[in-house]
Amino acid sequence: MKTIYLLPNQFKRIGWVLFIPGIILGIIFLINQSERFEFFNITVFSIADQQALGKTEFFSFTKNNIFDETIGILIIIGALFIAFAKEKSEDEFISKIRLESLVWATYVNYIILILSIIFIYDMIFFWVLVFNMFTTLFFFIIRFNWALNKSKNQIRDEE
Amino acid sequence: MRNSIKVERDKKNLTQAQLAELVSVSRQTINAIELGKYNLSTILALKIAQVFNQSVHDIFELEDSDW
Repeated sequence: MKTIYLLPNQFKRIGWVLFIPGIILGIIFLINQSERFEFFNITVFSIADQQALGKTEFFSFTKNNIFDETIGILIIIGALFIAFAKEKSEDEFISKIRLESLVWATYVNYIILILSIIFIYDMIFFWVLVFNMFTTLFFFIIRFNWALNKSKNQIRDEE
Repeated sequence: MRNSIKVERDKKNLTQAQLAELVSVSRQTINAIELGKYNLSTILALKIAQVFNQSVHDIFELEDSDW
């Protein structure tokens, strides 16, 4: 069966190469949020930007430390590559596992988000939203690989 | 849906891995079909039937619970 919208298998490796540094830098960022490497201070083009006094500017150039942006993009692109690179033997059964895992991950992600909306407030909720940018992909990767391994182990049990 | 893939495989002395290769799917897929855990596509059913030189109806059979 032809699988659509999936990347070639090699992208999985590239995904890990982006994802792991992204996670390590992310942990550094979380542990020491005041740490802003000078290297990342640049002028960026922004579509919308809110200044300290609350005035929103559209389509402007602004100074920004892009350490957190870099981390976010590394993690998201890495996780997308890991999640949606084809398996070596991608076929219709694996597509089914893929779909089931994606539905499962979406449900779990939004159930957690709903609970967070109800029970978590203020800045902690902001951090929930930050994590929520990545969690659908994380849940999908974990659930998909778990299901894939389960079906592989079933073969071993049969032998 | 019941199927007699395992029986047909035994007749032809084919392992799951060999059948999987003949019809271009993973071994997990053949295993899941044999265990009744996965309802395969029409194309794959036709391919498997062709490997065994049989009609699809000889290998796959509807069960009451499919209705």
